[in-house]
Amino acid sequence: MTERLWAALSEVQDPEMPVNLVDLGVIYGISESDGVVAVDLTFTAMGCPASEFILEDIRERLLREPGVSEVRVNIVWDPPWTVARMTEAGRDALEAWGLAV
Amino acid sequence: MGTQAEFDQMIKSGELIESPKEMTPDYLKELKHTLIVSGDTELISAPAYYLAAKRAPSINAFMTGIAIIQDELAHAHIAYHILEELGEDQEKLIFSRDPKSFRYPYAFDVPLESWTELVVANGMYDQAGFCLLGDIHDKCSYGPWKRGLNKVMAEENFHLRNGRTWMKRISASGGAAKDELQRAVDWMFPLSVEWFGLPDSMKMHSTQLEYRLKGLTNDQLRQWWLSTVVPYCEQIGIKVPAHKEVRDGKDVWELDYPFPCEFDAEEKRWDFKQPISWDDVLVRWRARGPRNAEMVAMFQEEFHKFRKTHHKNGS
Repeated sequence: MTERLWAALSEVQDPEMPVNLVDLGVIYGISESDGVVAVDLTFTAMGCPASEFILEDIRERLLREPGVSEVRVNIVWDPPWTVARMTEAGRDALEAWGLAV
Repeated sequence: MGTQAEFDQMIKSGELIESPKEMTPDYLKELKHTLIVSGDTELISAPAYYLAAKRAPSINAFMTGIAIIQDELAHAHIAYHILEELGEDQEKLIFSRDPKSFRYPYAFDVPLESWTELVVANGMYDQAGFCLLGDIHDKCSYGPWKRGLNKVMAEENFHLRNGRTWMKRISASGGAAKDELQRAVDWMFPLSVEWFGLPDSMKMHSTQLEYRLKGLTNDQLRQWWLSTVVPYCEQIGIKVPAHKEVRDGKDVWELDYPFPCEFDAEEKRWDFKQPISWDDVLVRWRARGPRNAEMVAMFQEEFHKFRKTHHKNGS
């Protein structure tokens, strides 16, 4: 099931950049038990101005998955996010957009 | 550079102009004018939004408001930077011009005084900016500007989202909060409609269109704006003075009030019973609104103060 949840979050775009949250590398972990999904999430900056939108989008998308009744997002800062956490696809997407990463 | 006819042909064929060397003097003049309007609009939105962002209802909302202001400053910087490459003095443009000579929409001269008014500005003014810049991004014949707008568009999307999310949230909470939202929409909606300028029927000739500095006419841009804002407001239960009609199989957005009409900037109130002429509107625009001098002073004053003390210390 978690595989399906990872796939679902790879459909959630960052509100500011044309890259999804999984490729951006801000999803640190997903677990599920009895329909309750726990997501470990970090932000690219502590002052992320889009944090509320990201939380809203994660909840909204995961709750659309069959079998998910509750979403708990745990915000983590350790290890801190760096560009090294991005996937190859994420890097390509941002480079195509004009951002050197 | 070839002849005027060759230049016109180049523009028509969709080629991009990449440097001042390729431009005719008239194209350069028109490009500069368009960039100044764009740069001034983005720049002045920063102090205008800041007055309201200070009233954010949470730290998170404040951060978002400040981030939007930072984006707007960056967008202004892109326009002024290109102007510098075209031979203008950026410092003079920003810090030495008379407040009245700034070329931004009149809407920003009317103060945003609450978080509610700020989010309506994000939903309506930024939507106007999105239409205008989206069109330039799509059609602009000047390569450096067209490419610079790539990121601008994505960031404007974020501003729109802030506006729409909060408008929906405030409307859903009902009561006095929703009344306040409706009041903000009541004065800001017609100001945004006015933003796109004279109707096509009164504007016989557009050099900007000819030079492909934009692709859509004022009325086309206004229709685009209405087609996004009106349905959204209706969806979240907010009334707007416009409706859709189907004409020759096409959606046309009609205003439910005389356009243009009288606006009291101090009271933030439109008088829909008082139609006026576009000449009257132009007089109001040229005189600028209540906060013009104050907002320009917000960034000009400190610059000159700082400069003065520095010179004293240095010499």
